[in-house]
Amino acid sequence: MECNGCEFKPELYYDAEYQIWLRLEEDDTLTVGMTDLSQAIAGHILHVRVRRPGTRRPPGKPVATIESGKWAGPIPNFMDCTIVEANEAVMDQPDLLNKDPYGAWIARVEVEGGGAQALQDYLTGDAAYEGYCDRARRDDIHCHRD
Amino acid sequence: MRDERTLRVLDTGLRRAAENLALNRSLLECHQEGHSPHTLRFLRFEPSALVGFHQNVDQELLTEVCRAEGIDIQRRITGGGAIYFDPTQIGWELYVDKRFVGSSDMEKIAGRICRAAARGISRLGVDARFRPRNDIEVDGRKISGTGGAFDGDSIMYQGTLLIDFDVERMLRVLRIPAEKLSDKAIASARDRVANLRELLGELPPLETIQQSLAEAFAETFNVDLAPADSMDGVEQSRFEQALREMDSDEWIYQRNRPAVDSPLLEAVHRAPGGLMRAGVSLDRERGRIGQVWITGDFFTNPRRMLVDLEAALRGIAVVDLERTLHDFFDDYPVEMLMLTRDDFIRVLRLALDSDDAAPANGDNPTHAVG
Repeated sequence: MECNGCEFKPELYYDAEYQIWLRLEEDDTLTVGMTDLSQAIAGHILHVRVRRPGTRRPPGKPVATIESGKWAGPIPNFMDCTIVEANEAVMDQPDLLNKDPYGAWIARVEVEGGGAQALQDYLTGDAAYEGYCDRARRDDIHCHRD
Repeated sequence: MRDERTLRVLDTGLRRAAENLALNRSLLECHQEGHSPHTLRFLRFEPSALVGFHQNVDQELLTEVCRAEGIDIQRRITGGGAIYFDPTQIGWELYVDKRFVGSSDMEKIAGRICRAAARGISRLGVDARFRPRNDIEVDGRKISGTGGAFDGDSIMYQGTLLIDFDVERMLRVLRIPAEKLSDKAIASARDRVANLRELLGELPPLETIQQSLAEAFAETFNVDLAPADSMDGVEQSRFEQALREMDSDEWIYQRNRPAVDSPLLEAVHRAPGGLMRAGVSLDRERGRIGQVWITGDFFTNPRRMLVDLEAALRGIAVVDLERTLHDFFDDYPVEMLMLTRDDFIRVLRLALDSDDAAPANGDNPTHAVG
């Protein structure tokens, strides 16, 4: 599924602005990544830094930061969570986030209250697809692979 | 609710780097939370060497020189490379959102803001132009470098403006190849940057410079200017909190890696068209080129082709060197005298191949001659 060339995965969970995607793992942790919309807006990503495993991050405090061109900023975080694992492959080759935004996850986190519970605040499936396309059209975002 | 059509103008004066950068964070956070109005801030720095957000201090700066000369070391919240900042430069910053600029695309946002700043600088009597992706130049010489930070829909975009700049001092504090410190190289670096005093014959008053920039931003983004004397209580308290965190070694030296992981490699190539010298800073761990410098007595027209080539090679993977160079020359109209793109590939390859992976002393550049 796609909008303006931006890939969408209905089985994942998304924030209201479709900046990040979340996937529930068997151990109730959540895997966090950047959406195709986000990577398209950011441009070619040169650096990714993930907080050390074991670090607790309250809502509003990012689990990771990225840099593209001369822009730097956070991957937004809306949960009270602790970093379990960082994707070393992405830290070594940050533009994997551009090339394969849904394969190249950023971090795995353990959420206060559990991952399944936390996902109730996020969008998924058809409703998410509609919102995702609205955002792509509203902000005139088009995706392409390098 | 924020007044979308008003741009507050703040001048926070001459400050230490830690204060200026803590203000970056606090004002961006307050804007993101919807508390602060759209803001244009003017700022100046006590002598400071500033690394980019994801950079490592020891890989970018000669910290002993900074300490000996009383130059503050700090980490920006914006991306990009290390810079030297002192009272001979003015800083300008916009705290706005993507709607204000009229795009979500980070490259377009940078372009629109830089073009507005260039119009403001041009009002002073020079022909300033935006040079993609992030510079403003006058006749091919850089007068303003820029970079940004984002947090949700809020952005902070900042630039320098050289008013009377000391190139030699800048070269002394940044970790760059020794060859760049020769008299000839310093003269060449001077040729690549411009400052207002030199271009205009005299320095316009600070207020005039700031007013020109402010009016250009207001016209470009169709907003009214609202000068303010100070931040409000919430911003002030957030600033003090950010300062406590950022005025510390934990912030400045976070995840520091030794200079040895980022060697400066140099090579000389005697091409038919002249002697070429190249310096390459290599991020060995990630297999990427940090920055390249190419100098020599060969002929190219336009001369600025070299700085554009250097910009095109910044941050690329080493394995992409040849492809990037071919892509660049395929698209770039340039006249060269007895010189081909292969000469550029040759000198850069020589520099990269001189990396022995375990130099005895990372502060000494490795040399190669071909």
